[in-house]
Amino acid sequence: MIRKTAMATARVEQPARSPGAERATPGALAQDGALAQDGARGWVMVGALFVCSTLVFGLIRSLGAFFVEFVQYFQESAQAISWITSIGVATQQLCSPLGTALCNAYDAQRVVMAGGFLASLGLILASQARSLPHLYLTMGLTSGLGWSLVFTPMVATVMAHFTRRRTLALGVGFTGVGVSSFVFAPLFQYMLDNFGWRGSLLILGGLSLNIVPCGALIRPTRKKAPPRPKAGGKADNGGGGGGGASAFRSLLRRVYRYLELSLLAHGPFLTYTLAITFFNAGYFVPYVHLVAHGRQAGYSEYRAAFVMSATGAADIVGRVAAGWLTDLGRARLVHMLTGWTGLTGVFIVLMPLASVAGSYGLLLGFGLGYGFCAGALTSLVFAGVPEIVGMGRMVGALGLLSMLESVGGLLGPPLSGYLRDRTGSYITSLVAAGCCFLLGSLILTTLPHYFSWTGPPPPRPPDGDGQEERQDAGAGLLGSPASGSTNGTASKDSDHSQTCLA
Amino acid sequence: MLHSGVKLCARLLLLSLSWGGTHSTGGPGSTLPPVVSGPPLSSDVRSVVFKGESQVEEVQVVRPLTLALECTWTGSQDRPHNISGFWRKDGSELADSRRPVLLENQQYNLRRAFSITDEEGLGNYSCVFDNQAEVDFILAAPRVGEVRDKPIVSYVGDSVVLQCKMEDTKPQPNSWTWYRANGTDKELLDPEPDSPRYQIHNQEGKTKLTVRNLTEADSGAYYCGAVYDISVTLSRVDLRVITFLEPLKPFLVIVGEVLVLVSLILLYERTKAHGPQPDNTLSDDQAHKLTPDDAGGEVTDSSTRQRKV
Repeated sequence: MIRKTAMATARVEQPARSPGAERATPGALAQDGALAQDGARGWVMVGALFVCSTLVFGLIRSLGAFFVEFVQYFQESAQAISWITSIGVATQQLCSPLGTALCNAYDAQRVVMAGGFLASLGLILASQARSLPHLYLTMGLTSGLGWSLVFTPMVATVMAHFTRRRTLALGVGFTGVGVSSFVFAPLFQYMLDNFGWRGSLLILGGLSLNIVPCGALIRPTRKKAPPRPKAGGKADNGGGGGGGASAFRSLLRRVYRYLELSLLAHGPFLTYTLAITFFNAGYFVPYVHLVAHGRQAGYSEYRAAFVMSATGAADIVGRVAAGWLTDLGRARLVHMLTGWTGLTGVFIVLMPLASVAGSYGLLLGFGLGYGFCAGALTSLVFAGVPEIVGMGRMVGALGLLSMLESVGGLLGPPLSGYLRDRTGSYITSLVAAGCCFLLGSLILTTLPHYFSWTGPPPPRPPDGDGQEERQDAGAGLLGSPASGSTNGTASKDSDHSQTCLA
Repeated sequence: MLHSGVKLCARLLLLSLSWGGTHSTGGPGSTLPPVVSGPPLSSDVRSVVFKGESQVEEVQVVRPLTLALECTWTGSQDRPHNISGFWRKDGSELADSRRPVLLENQQYNLRRAFSITDEEGLGNYSCVFDNQAEVDFILAAPRVGEVRDKPIVSYVGDSVVLQCKMEDTKPQPNSWTWYRANGTDKELLDPEPDSPRYQIHNQEGKTKLTVRNLTEADSGAYYCGAVYDISVTLSRVDLRVITFLEPLKPFLVIVGEVLVLVSLILLYERTKAHGPQPDNTLSDDQAHKLTPDDAGGEVTDSSTRQRKV
């Protein structure tokens, strides 16, 4: 008891230790239950998130280099080839809840390592493809499934490691996407020139395997198997007599809990998700249409491509800057998110107008503004989740959010393409994308307690059974009592999260 | 295009000029052949008006024809009434093409008809004014525009499709042929219809050569020839066949690196977890939650216990 009290006091005193101290004292590990909030371990996880974003989204974005090679080898239409990345992205997004559910049930470490292995396996098998459906199954489904097991658990892990600097950590972690698209473009071209698409896919599979060490960096927790329902403690199966039916029901109940399906009835969460879905719909449109629009407006290929590159650079800077700004705590995260998304919408709408007015400088300026704001909002989107659903349900919420927002990402570009075909110019499609952002910002303002200076009261956990089960479920992430309070919330939230995330 | 009647008049006119005895009939593309020989050629006119010192004009020639080239020059600062002009082909002056050119309406005018019958007739024709200004007419059959400058990489045992496509904006060839570079020669590829290794598939404006069961000896340069009446234009496609060992080397290096990293990280976690001795003892009621080799178990378990206290 005394020893435990000593540990308790030691933990309480523990604010961010210096990295050296963490290793120096062996006893620090036991006291390290809080994992040195905002400390060295957290930044290691940020590094892992950086590598994972590179190898997941950076890779997906640069797969376009393979497009020409596939068209030539398989002699198929462009549409058939573009299904490969569509299936991959769709699988990654739709299976996100699966990733977070597995994270709740098992170890985040195992899940991410398994995901990295799957993604890499998909690419390696794809290098042997003799037909197009083979590519759909390997590069599309298998790698997509692997990616879904990697991304949201990694994001959740990083978020659980930070409180004060959460948004900055996410921002820095996500810069991997932008940086890698600069690096991968020439790298992929070099690989294609030297090894053809088969060899390049094989090497990419090897590169993707680097996700596994990133996953290994996640601290494993005590849970190795999903907890068995305790006899008499829960409402699940009362005694062994229930047999198959009640075992099935308890399985369903566990699935329901791991997937956090209760969130589907949670008003603020749905509002938030709706807003993010609109953002997603408009987000990719400029990337797809801006260069073509620039060419149509009469700028040369190089000038149009330069606007895109400048946008990409501004995106990287925006992620870090917005993360840092948000964590200063001057304004609420939702307010800042509304600000960034509103600005993004404005810039997108202004961009085609600038090129119509004939000014390249203005187009470049608006493009930079768009890039900065679009990057900024990506740092904040995930960081805003705990404020709405609480740390206990954060992991599942991330998965559900990713899956639901993918609807926007799937519908947005084709819709804007349709607009372009109808009107013959890209101006309408870009303006529509900007309006998606503005509409989403408006939806954000309908969140409860939006106009209050401090945050909303901490969200309540769902009533009734499974308090302990929730505790086990949330613990699957870290096994650490992340204090989990978001900016400015009261002690009630801390109590709640302490029972949830450990 | 001239009407046939006008064409005949023009021919008669030029014929009468040639009988004037000032031109010899030697050299490529000098005068019209005598009326009696060959089928009637189609004819076309290309004229250029220019100001500066030189200009280049590309002319696509698809079939044998009579081509009249006309240059009109606005002259330099001082416009002498009388300058000399001549025609050049491929850099060398055409014999008996030099003549005095008079200033009319502030312009100098040179015009000449050339008979392009075969590949020899193609080339670079220039009209030269007084050694000061010239227009280059580049007569050539259409070439395939999009040429892939990097070799296509493929693997032993795999198959590859080499293709050439003539743009829609250019005249389409009558047919296609394929050649394979053999030293300095080009060897014609003419496979049987059911040959297992090579297959040529021609479509309107597109041709595809499929090579199956590749071996490393298949590497090299391949040429697709667009066949026109006047000539065959070649376009080069390079093929490089490699074995799977080549990408396998970097792949294995990366896999090795990953394995080393993972082992290091897991070993590190394991030693750190087994480090702290004082907290190893746990009560029985908590032990059932742990599995023996669980590295992080004592950490979280102690924290759980602590909270419940």
